[in-house]
Amino acid sequence: MTAPTGEHRVLGQPLDSREDPQLLRGEATYVADIDLPGTAHMAILGSTHAHARILDIGTKAAEAMPGVLKVATAQDFADVMPLPCIWIPGGVESHFPPHPYGLPGARPVLTGDTVRHVGDPIAVVVAETPREAAAALAALHVEYEPLPVVTRADEALAPGAPQLHEAVPGNLNAYWTCGDKDRTDAAIAAAEVTVELDLVNQRTVNSPIEPRGAVGHYDPATGDYTLYASTQGPHNHRFLLSALVLGIPFNKLRVIAPTVGGSFGTKGYLYPDMALVLLLSKELGRPVKWVDTRTGLMNSTVQGRDHRQHVTLAGTRDGRITAVRCTSWANLGAYPSTIGPGVATALMGRSITGMYQIDAAFCEVHAAFTNTVPLGAQRGSGRAEAAFLMERLVDRYAAEIGMDPAEVRRRNLVPAEKFPYANGLGWTYDSGNYRENFDKALELAGYADMPARKAEARTRGKRLGVGLATYVAVCGVGPSTRMSQEGMLGGTWESANIRVHPTGEVAVTVGSASTGQSHHTVFAQVAADEFGIDPAQVRVYQGDTLKAPYGQGTYGSRSYSMAAPAVALTARKIKAKMVRAGAVFLGVPEDRVVYADGRIHEAGNPANAKTFAELAMAMWYGWGLPPQIEPALDETTHFDPPDFNYPFGTHVAVVEVDELTGETEVVAYTAVDDAGNIGNPAIVRGQIEGSILHGLGQALMEAAVYDAEGRLLTSDLTRYALPRATDAPFFLLDKTVTPSPHNPLGAKGAGEIATVPPAAAVTNAVVDALSDLGVQHIDMPLTPEKVWRRLRGEDDQ
Amino acid sequence: MDISLNVNGSDRQFSAEPGELLVERLRDGLGLTGTKVGCDTGQCGTCVVRLDGRSVKSCLVLTASAAGSEVTTVEGLTPPGGELTGLQEALRQEHGTQCGFCTPGMVMALGELVDKAAQEGTAPTEPEIREWLTGNLCRCTGYHSVVRGVQRACAASAAGRQDG
Repeated sequence: MTAPTGEHRVLGQPLDSREDPQLLRGEATYVADIDLPGTAHMAILGSTHAHARILDIGTKAAEAMPGVLKVATAQDFADVMPLPCIWIPGGVESHFPPHPYGLPGARPVLTGDTVRHVGDPIAVVVAETPREAAAALAALHVEYEPLPVVTRADEALAPGAPQLHEAVPGNLNAYWTCGDKDRTDAAIAAAEVTVELDLVNQRTVNSPIEPRGAVGHYDPATGDYTLYASTQGPHNHRFLLSALVLGIPFNKLRVIAPTVGGSFGTKGYLYPDMALVLLLSKELGRPVKWVDTRTGLMNSTVQGRDHRQHVTLAGTRDGRITAVRCTSWANLGAYPSTIGPGVATALMGRSITGMYQIDAAFCEVHAAFTNTVPLGAQRGSGRAEAAFLMERLVDRYAAEIGMDPAEVRRRNLVPAEKFPYANGLGWTYDSGNYRENFDKALELAGYADMPARKAEARTRGKRLGVGLATYVAVCGVGPSTRMSQEGMLGGTWESANIRVHPTGEVAVTVGSASTGQSHHTVFAQVAADEFGIDPAQVRVYQGDTLKAPYGQGTYGSRSYSMAAPAVALTARKIKAKMVRAGAVFLGVPEDRVVYADGRIHEAGNPANAKTFAELAMAMWYGWGLPPQIEPALDETTHFDPPDFNYPFGTHVAVVEVDELTGETEVVAYTAVDDAGNIGNPAIVRGQIEGSILHGLGQALMEAAVYDAEGRLLTSDLTRYALPRATDAPFFLLDKTVTPSPHNPLGAKGAGEIATVPPAAAVTNAVVDALSDLGVQHIDMPLTPEKVWRRLRGEDDQ
Repeated sequence: MDISLNVNGSDRQFSAEPGELLVERLRDGLGLTGTKVGCDTGQCGTCVVRLDGRSVKSCLVLTASAAGSEVTTVEGLTPPGGELTGLQEALRQEHGTQCGFCTPGMVMALGELVDKAAQEGTAPTEPEIREWLTGNLCRCTGYHSVVRGVQRACAASAAGRQDG
């Protein structure tokens, strides 16, 4: 039998990330760095109108430009299928643009008749150099017939609004609900206290520092296509592109994710450029490369958030929350992105009760198409929007009943003995000790000292405010059957292969592909820990569909709770085989064989032993094995968990608002997050720090602003503010640990969870700072001008 | 226009196109892809190189205007697979990189700060480090680990001076 591994020696240690030296030396290859011999360069022309009929695209001048190899418009790709959408609002009627297979469709690879957002791709140029391609693009002459534009979800659903898609009456993708409407309405009607808020969870741009790119290479000798792309999910892209867009055999497409420069939700999607570089490579007989610009990215790549909400909370005078209700208008943009509709509905709606035990809850989402860039996931997607509305409501309620917002929260936390806990909206929280987590955060933040600090700040012309936010973030997508009920059109399991080489070195290959999460380090730790060997013996492979077992990719903080369990389970299979075969090699019955510390030995006779490397070599030879034991050590596991996992936490923001200028400075930020058992605390710490700053960005400065004509005004980094090093306040971080029962590592999602509460915590803090002026809410971003106006008693409109 | 430029210690002669940016020459002309492009407006800092010792955004420098200068890119700091510089090593120990796309630009920009501190025998304060870093955007790390890395590098460099 296999002995337990005992204490972890490698897992849970802050090992240095083995990716880092290559990244620090600038040696990693990103898609823009790929330079295949004979490469031609593609540029994409995006529509300059948000909604218009295309009357004509004049290509003659562009075709005559130096170096131009090809100019193509929609009619060149008439036989190419549109991209599909694979996460639709679950369990309800929904409407999508068509796809020939009867699936929900998304967008064509080039738009031919009616453009629906600024940046909608309508033509491409391929030329010898990027400069020649860009110059020829400028020579394309497009005649548009402008159509009326709508950029807000609520307005798109109003009678008489401009219509985007023939197959989508009234622009309504879906009306989706969760929870018990009647019970919630009744509880609100009967409540001692109700509070309501109208919220705008503004659209923001995910903004990885690496813009997207793609290189297509068609080999006429074999008929094989290879796509190099900045992708979070190479296997998914392979399947969707080959079967549902290009109509070529799955076997003919290989997708390779080189080093990917961050994603934050943007790079798991199908984009037209991926299909275009492959099609044009075949046509031209040369590799075709496309790399986006920043302004291009702003109009081509999915954006996040964008809900308008009316929310209501009911409770008793003594601080017990009895009901919460949310009506949300979700802006999906001009086309459904690959998974956008699911993000805007289930991920948000089922999460709204957060850490609280609430008897009645209901959420309805009107998901609509508008003339804006398609919406997708963004770091903390759905769950951040849910936490924002709930935590704003709790503070509003606390103010209404005159109770400390911390005390209100404490009275409503789901008690530790209630787990597993069904939240009434469809999630069953796996494990948690919310009270422990909450109290730890408040103590660390010095919450009790805040009244004194507020008084001191006023002597300096500053208004100090403190804001709390708690959250539960569903992670670990996921249980495939459960996800199918949520409208996911595909499996969401993850896999790993481990091959023990004859030398005792180990190759771990995972289906998940990193966009900066140090997969090479962490998966080596998991395998080394299971085997009881030095992590230096383990090498990790990922990102190439030809070599890696299937996997869905890195998103939703899932790799450590989905792919790492697959690695652990595979290592256990190999250890079990080592024990079975070891019985033969040691000449003892199997139940006398002990696996410990990277070797096997006979129980009670440590001298009768074989090392890991000796076993590896013996299995490579395969000599003397009985017929029921195959030679070699090479196993694969496909891990599909029984349910999701639910990390959680408490964040405390302390801000100082300048009374003269309205500037908000975050002077302290405390975060206590619970991600279950952590594989590498140094890596998780980095992810949490980055996630918090991303959330602070939404709170204080980030907003995708469209004008009435649907033009994105914030379309480059001079106009779209991203947090810089001087915007990052001092962070005080700690953790609690409640392992998840849903995977063998007790892991929960970690990568993006700390993006969920900061927008709420900071907004609560600023409202707290201004509460004596009667301010009940300010919409993000909390810019100095907006806050200054509120200081003067003006409205923020 | 014929240009000569010393890049990472080697004299390079080539003909620059009108309007050619230094970053284009480095990446496309010389194949030095450690220098990145992340925006179109000089905001992101992924293209920072050292030009006659000063850290500059190479997307804001015309190749022609750099003629006769010495350019150091991230590749010029250490040979492929070679030993990390003190700053790189400190950033490694603090896990000051995640996706790595902003990293070469940060290494080049912060290198000037660390060199300056070493020459002056001082150590920058945390606000000074953060101010210096404002020309470089990072979405992954939240900058804290990068700041810790610079502090570690300056401390190591100061300790080295005392030992020496």
